[in-house]
Amino acid sequence: MASVAERLQVSPFMTFFVIVSMQIGVGVLGFQRVIAKTAGHDAWISVLLAGASSHLILIVLYWLLQQADGDFLLLHQRLFGRWVGGALSSLLALYFAAMAFVVLRTYIEVIQVWMFPDLKTWEFSLAFLFLCLYITVGGFRVVVGIYFFCLIIPSYLLFTFWFVLDYTDFYQLLPILDHPPSTIVKAAKQMTLTMLGYETILLFYPFIKRGNQSAKWAHAALLTTTLFYALLTVLTLAYFSEKQLQRQIWPTLTMWKMVELPFIERFEYIGIANWLLIILPNVCLGLWCSSRICKQLFPVRQKTALLVIAAICFFSTLLIHDRKEVDFVNTILNRVGFYFLYIWIPCLAGITYIVKKVRGNV
Amino acid sequence: MDFQTKVYRNDTSGLYLWVSYIKPMVDIETVARSIFPYLFHRPFSSLEDIRQALPIDDAYISSDPNDVKAKLLEGYLFVRLHETDETGLLIKAQKTLERTLTIPEVEFSVVGPKESFIESLETNLYLLRKRIPIDRLTVKMTRVGTLSKTKVAVVYIDGIANPDNVQTVLQRIEQVEFDEMIDSSYIVQIISDNRHSPFPQLLDTERPDRVAAVLAEGKVAIMVDGSPHVLIGPTTLVEFFSSFEDYFLNWTIASFFRLIRLFSVTFSILITPIYVATLNYHYELIPKDLLGTLITSRREIPFPPILEVLFLELTIELLREAGARLPTKVGQTIGIVGGIVIGTASVEAGLTSNVLLILVALAALASFTTPVYKIGNTIRLMRFPFILFAEMWGLLGVAFCFCIVMTHLLYLTSLGRPFLAPLYPPRWRDLKDAFIRLPFTSQSKRPETLRTEQPIRFNRKKAKEKRDIDE
Repeated sequence: MASVAERLQVSPFMTFFVIVSMQIGVGVLGFQRVIAKTAGHDAWISVLLAGASSHLILIVLYWLLQQADGDFLLLHQRLFGRWVGGALSSLLALYFAAMAFVVLRTYIEVIQVWMFPDLKTWEFSLAFLFLCLYITVGGFRVVVGIYFFCLIIPSYLLFTFWFVLDYTDFYQLLPILDHPPSTIVKAAKQMTLTMLGYETILLFYPFIKRGNQSAKWAHAALLTTTLFYALLTVLTLAYFSEKQLQRQIWPTLTMWKMVELPFIERFEYIGIANWLLIILPNVCLGLWCSSRICKQLFPVRQKTALLVIAAICFFSTLLIHDRKEVDFVNTILNRVGFYFLYIWIPCLAGITYIVKKVRGNV
Repeated sequence: MDFQTKVYRNDTSGLYLWVSYIKPMVDIETVARSIFPYLFHRPFSSLEDIRQALPIDDAYISSDPNDVKAKLLEGYLFVRLHETDETGLLIKAQKTLERTLTIPEVEFSVVGPKESFIESLETNLYLLRKRIPIDRLTVKMTRVGTLSKTKVAVVYIDGIANPDNVQTVLQRIEQVEFDEMIDSSYIVQIISDNRHSPFPQLLDTERPDRVAAVLAEGKVAIMVDGSPHVLIGPTTLVEFFSSFEDYFLNWTIASFFRLIRLFSVTFSILITPIYVATLNYHYELIPKDLLGTLITSRREIPFPPILEVLFLELTIELLREAGARLPTKVGQTIGIVGGIVIGTASVEAGLTSNVLLILVALAALASFTTPVYKIGNTIRLMRFPFILFAEMWGLLGVAFCFCIVMTHLLYLTSLGRPFLAPLYPPRWRDLKDAFIRLPFTSQSKRPETLRTEQPIRFNRKKAKEKRDIDE
């Protein structure tokens, strides 16, 4: 079940691009406000904490994958039997599908607020999902190709933060660690939504050539994302005052207003248009993972499952109307992701360990 | 009736000969000079004697009616001793009329050799073989086309080219079902991996030096009799933007020109959609001074930007099509009339703005910088979906269309190899000849995408010499 033909596999170096690109999604635009509300100007420490914890979880994920010979769903099945294991796996499919639709809807909201107030949700959602279908039908190699380009091409946006430096005051970060540790840990918990994305390795691990060598690239990816988010948080905290930050839903976009180029006045339009490239792989992989789980659990073809899931995502995007509801689904996804990664995975690891000791082999 | 049978009598031995041939195919001069003197004046008693006496190398005795028929149609003479004989001597006397070797018209280069392929397969193979005079240069001949029976030669260097690539090509050519195979572009369209894509997946060239260079890299060449264009595969997208002249210039200059070419292609595709997007939705993007110029230029135009753009783009396409069909003398006048008069007049009439005219003209010019003709057509086509998406969703539409094009490119393969290498899958070593061209001393390995059997071209350490100061 876990072996995939070699011509469909990608090199382990690609794991880096997939994980970085998956983690940097629509959360980057507005995560700073949430963590600064709890931890204030020590929020960057929460980011580093969240990053460190993600490394630990990744180590557990890799261990689980190796126990299961690369097929995570098989692990569910072996430990809990066919029906309960199947139910757990379908919850995972639901989670990935939800991830896809939440990312899409949040992005559409950003467009509707910043660029085109009268953009119809269903128009853009439909076109976007068609594009995602076109990509995912090509298979994992095409999806990874999209990841690769969608990380390399928007990377020039990093240089735009140079313009903000003139207006920053790093003394706002002092005094360090004057918030109680509980708030810092709480902010780290809130940070995990933005850091989510690497759990997809559970699904695409069989598609990596020499999978056991991909661990170093995955960790490198997590390190890169953590450093990127930490730097961005530091920059945001230095640029905005705390009260100012609380009034910004999307601080990153506001910071882009500072960019001054001789031939472009309002850079955030270009930033948002480029953001399409950044969230495209997230939605694609969500759809791909979800349909792949369906293919392995139920007797359907992956293409059929993909169509059904894409249709469900489309209708779900129509149901969410305003800021409050977007916020609500984001919070729910955050909680579910957090519980899955930080509570369920360690439990699973514990159970696997015990079962391995008892049975000898899973 | 151009099939003739004549009876001749040999002077010395007194035997009669029945000579059959198809008149238009036979070279009368060769026959008169090299064949008939031996047939009519030399003594012989059987066909075998004639064969040995003739100075023509391609002469053999045959009794297979299909073979005789095929050879007669090619321009051979069929000589028999009796009228009802089935066995006879086939003598080659083909008329070979072909173009003289000229300069390449499509891929002209200022420096470098100026020989180009012509329609005759024999001459083309000669041009190629004199550049790679080794025995490992393998030529596999086959015939394609039920009516035209065109000779197709698949050329590769044994020991360097990957056998999988060669096998793919040979297999696909075997499976071609067509009646009249006129040109190599017919073959391209039939054996391409993705027939429905506007992007060409096999490179076509008319320069023998280019073919020799790529064969040395490990590619496979397909030559078709009757076509001056030779196909090369497997190929990647970046090769369509590299002119062969880059290899004749210094590497810094060549890299600079390549980057300019890439920039001009991007500019050509994106500038008109960005014009439409910014003027429709995002006029706040443009700095104030430029905005003033743009607004002034558009003040009297009754159309929205999209109609202006479509009008001008279609005019340029019309000019190009018309210019391609007209005979040379008339074509030049019409080109000038069309280009200058229509352009200036439409600005003065208030149908288009002068800024847009400049942009469209520059974009059209930039699309002609591609060295390979086929990809230039693709680029001109690519512009239109971008314009439509820009009209719908502004800059977001441009980004969206870009994603669609990128996905399409990711799907493409050339003879089974990924089309976007060395970008994706990333082959860092192959980047030495993609967007920039590193000097020849750095190019000691063959491209990884081809998976050649012998990746090392030459000994790198010997190529570079290290000298200390004042040594």
